[in-house]
Amino acid sequence: MINTGRKHLVHIVKYRWLWMALSAILLVPGIFAMVYSSMTYSNHAPLKVGIDYTGGTILQYGLTEKISNEDLAKNRKALEEAGIENPYIQILNVNSTQQKNTKAQISSIISIRTKFVEKDSMVPEKIKGTLAKQYNNPELISVSSVGPTMGKELFKNSLLAVTLAVLGIIAYLSFRFRFDYAVAAILGIVHDVLFVCGAFSILGLLYNVQIDGLFITALLTVIGFSVHDTIVVFDRIRENLRYYAKKMSFGEIVDASVNQTLARSINTSLTTLITLLALYFFGGVTTKDFVLAMILGIAIGTYSSIFFCSMLVDFWNDKKNSMASV
Amino acid sequence: MKNKILMFWGIMIIVIAAIILIAVKPIKLGLDLVGGSRLILEAQTTNNIAKITPEVMQRLQYAIESRVNKLGVSETVVQQVGDKRLLIEIPAITDLTEAKSFIGETAQLEFKKQAPDASGNVVWVPTGLTGQDLSKSTLSTDASGQWVVSLEFNSTGAKKFGELTEALVGKKMAIFFDDELISDPNVNEAIYGGNAQITSGGAGFSYEEASRMVNLLNAGALPVPAKIVEENTVGPTLGADSIAKSEKAGIIGLSAVMLFMLLYYRVPGLIADIALIIYSLILFALFKTIPVTLTLAGIAGFILSIGMAVDANILIFERTKEELRAGRNLFTAINSGFDRAFTSIFDSNMTTIITCFILYMLGTSVVKGFALTLALGVMVSMFSAITVTKNFMHLIFGTGELKYPALFGLRKDEIGKDYEATETKREKARFGILD
Repeated sequence: MINTGRKHLVHIVKYRWLWMALSAILLVPGIFAMVYSSMTYSNHAPLKVGIDYTGGTILQYGLTEKISNEDLAKNRKALEEAGIENPYIQILNVNSTQQKNTKAQISSIISIRTKFVEKDSMVPEKIKGTLAKQYNNPELISVSSVGPTMGKELFKNSLLAVTLAVLGIIAYLSFRFRFDYAVAAILGIVHDVLFVCGAFSILGLLYNVQIDGLFITALLTVIGFSVHDTIVVFDRIRENLRYYAKKMSFGEIVDASVNQTLARSINTSLTTLITLLALYFFGGVTTKDFVLAMILGIAIGTYSSIFFCSMLVDFWNDKKNSMASV
Repeated sequence: MKNKILMFWGIMIIVIAAIILIAVKPIKLGLDLVGGSRLILEAQTTNNIAKITPEVMQRLQYAIESRVNKLGVSETVVQQVGDKRLLIEIPAITDLTEAKSFIGETAQLEFKKQAPDASGNVVWVPTGLTGQDLSKSTLSTDASGQWVVSLEFNSTGAKKFGELTEALVGKKMAIFFDDELISDPNVNEAIYGGNAQITSGGAGFSYEEASRMVNLLNAGALPVPAKIVEENTVGPTLGADSIAKSEKAGIIGLSAVMLFMLLYYRVPGLIADIALIIYSLILFALFKTIPVTLTLAGIAGFILSIGMAVDANILIFERTKEELRAGRNLFTAINSGFDRAFTSIFDSNMTTIITCFILYMLGTSVVKGFALTLALGVMVSMFSAITVTKNFMHLIFGTGELKYPALFGLRKDEIGKDYEATETKREKARFGILD
């Protein structure tokens, strides 16, 4: 037997159907949300797309008082009355850190998205006027603006980046592994990407969370991370096959390999998740969604490399053997 | 053992060098941290200029640069991106709306005369005398105390202006600024001296109007109009808040990871923690030396790389523990732990670097910052997590048998159970196994 130092903690082969069902439970709600979104959104996108890709302007104002989401509707109405077309509003609450060099504490940030603000439009003045009626001294703290043509270009670039990264990883995997391992690893990527996109589609529907260039970055980082996790497990399967192929069945080797690498897989994700959670809870407001995408992605990536990909490899091997014996 | 000690001092020299660099060099912070504005302008074609050539872009860049300099802020950036775009960075700007309109203004000064068009209506037509014929412009007041813009033509301009006024004596001449009629005085006599004054028709110039026009004229007109296609502005309040929060998140994240490593891996964990501190020092020194402009996304990349840097150590320690469980002595277990984990570490870092490279080539500047810091972090971690940790492990544990398994977080009864040699002869030789 292969010595893993303890009894097997996880059983891949025995509970194969359980892991398949769990993956389905994790993925299906997100897939539904994406289908629903592409049917209901005017641009037929499965996720709510931010100004990076559609073009538009986001103005953020810092407020000294704390405001809640109930103020959303009120603000929306007031802005529409002031002649702002289709404002999207988000409220970000700031867990203030002590600031030495600023006069007033900002307690919440109200973020208003409109269509692209042209040079001479009065939109910023109108918004400021409307907010000033309700809040004490709103301060314009950030402006991001992307022209419509620029948005299309950024979108093309992002698609290109994702395609290139995935192709690069496929090439790398095929070079490193047998074909069936590579296919399992790629299905693992699809699994993880579907989960993260699905989760953000749901967040888009519920909380108006929009994806931007940073989301794509997070996705690519997650893909790299998840593939790496899978490589470690597969490397171990390959190594064990060299020594034990005659003494143990393929399924037993998969189980043993997963258990041998279990502590490493979990600990690595744990340390990364610790740093990401610190960023999420204590870091800046602007990178919150980006960090959330990575937290979700790394958690699911760990799950998929332990349970999903190894299960697929074993499943494939089983099918191949039963075909051969017929 | 001798080269191990030599290596130790080598590592110490690198650490000291890093600390000195950190103390001496300033860090470059991005606009999203100090506050400021990042604009992308796109050159627009006109009826006269149908194609944006590199030459046009050069003139545009020059004109925009001189305007940005007029804002009186230090460390501004104007640089060409792509075929027809300019990237402009202005840190610590207070009145952005004003700065934006100032930068984007075409500032085309034109002298026009009246002539009948095809259908017989009298319209203003260009005379060929424009802002390009000026040598400089100053702000002054006229006899009645009104603000006026004084113009001084260069030699060709003076000649053109002389001929023009000569031809137009008794008639009207108009001055247009960005296609807007500023005034249309009667020409009383020909003017040869090469000097002229613009007074505003109607109520006269306000001080702001006149001085703005002087500044724009001196900075030079844009050869083609330029439109803002992308803008990112962050106020100083948000920037300061982001710095404070990133610091806090970084410190909390780093200490939590270090605590975890110490509790789970014991003495090797402590060594990994020291390696992690060395890692942070080297990386920070690199950021300052290259220099890398640190943005919020860049900091996120840095903090993420901390999590990834300990990954190498986790792989190695798990492997070392397995070897110890299999009953090997310390030296062999540590060596084979490092050796066997190396391919996995190398593979993982390669996939990350490939991704970072693609992100860097194709991403926007925010994404570039993230990719750069993450890639640098991964490379430095190869040194800190492998070379540094291995050296410290050997120096501390030496070569004997493992006397206290608790140092590795192992129980005594785990050791040596189910021992089974799984090495080929070549691997045995490589790990120095003598059995």
